[in-house]
Amino acid sequence: MNTTRYLFPHQCKKIGWIIFLISLVLVVVSFFIDTSNSTWFDWKIFIGYDGGFFQDQPKILKWGIENVYPTLIGILLIAGATLAGFSKEKNEDEFIAKLRLESLLWAVYINYGLLILCFLFIYGITFLSVMEFNMFTVLIIFLIRFNFLLFRNSKSLINEK
Amino acid sequence: MKNNIRVERAIKNITQEELAKKTGVSRQTINAIELNKYIPSTVLALKIAVVFNKKVEEIFLLEKKD
Repeated sequence: MNTTRYLFPHQCKKIGWIIFLISLVLVVVSFFIDTSNSTWFDWKIFIGYDGGFFQDQPKILKWGIENVYPTLIGILLIAGATLAGFSKEKNEDEFIAKLRLESLLWAVYINYGLLILCFLFIYGITFLSVMEFNMFTVLIIFLIRFNFLLFRNSKSLINEK
Repeated sequence: MKNNIRVERAIKNITQEELAKKTGVSRQTINAIELNKYIPSTVLALKIAVVFNKKVEEIFLLEKKD
């Protein structure tokens, strides 16, 4: 039975984890180093829209220098987590597909539950950080839950014949 | 729904792994079905029945709460 529609091939799983780990390293680095001042990541790229600061003219649909560190983190994190979570398992079947979908549902609940708490208790400019994290938390919570379920199920096998 | 896959396996003397291979699923799936943690799709139920050479309703049984 085809339970594997919309999934990436199994080989993508490992690639996904590698990309995901790289992006996490970049996130950790950004906690310790102010990457917005580093010229390493000022690349000439095509800009869709950059509103600039109050005095600047916005840049619209033109080439220009931008700091791409957040761009890299965002793209790598999403690509990595998506591949890691939505690639076929080695022995993909209907039960694993069910675990995956249930984990996704679970992640959406937890994510928005946490977001409601943040709405209730966090105010001012700090809320921007909440929004920043919240862009990725659904995927991350999903990954944790799904892999936990896979681990728990493989563990319950040990006692069986 | 309950099932007697474990009993049938014992009668035929095959392991979870062998049953999994014959039905094209992972061992985790067979294990979860035996523990009543997962209800298989109709396709898988039929495949399991074929392996044991029995009717589906001889292996999978409805319970009162179903």
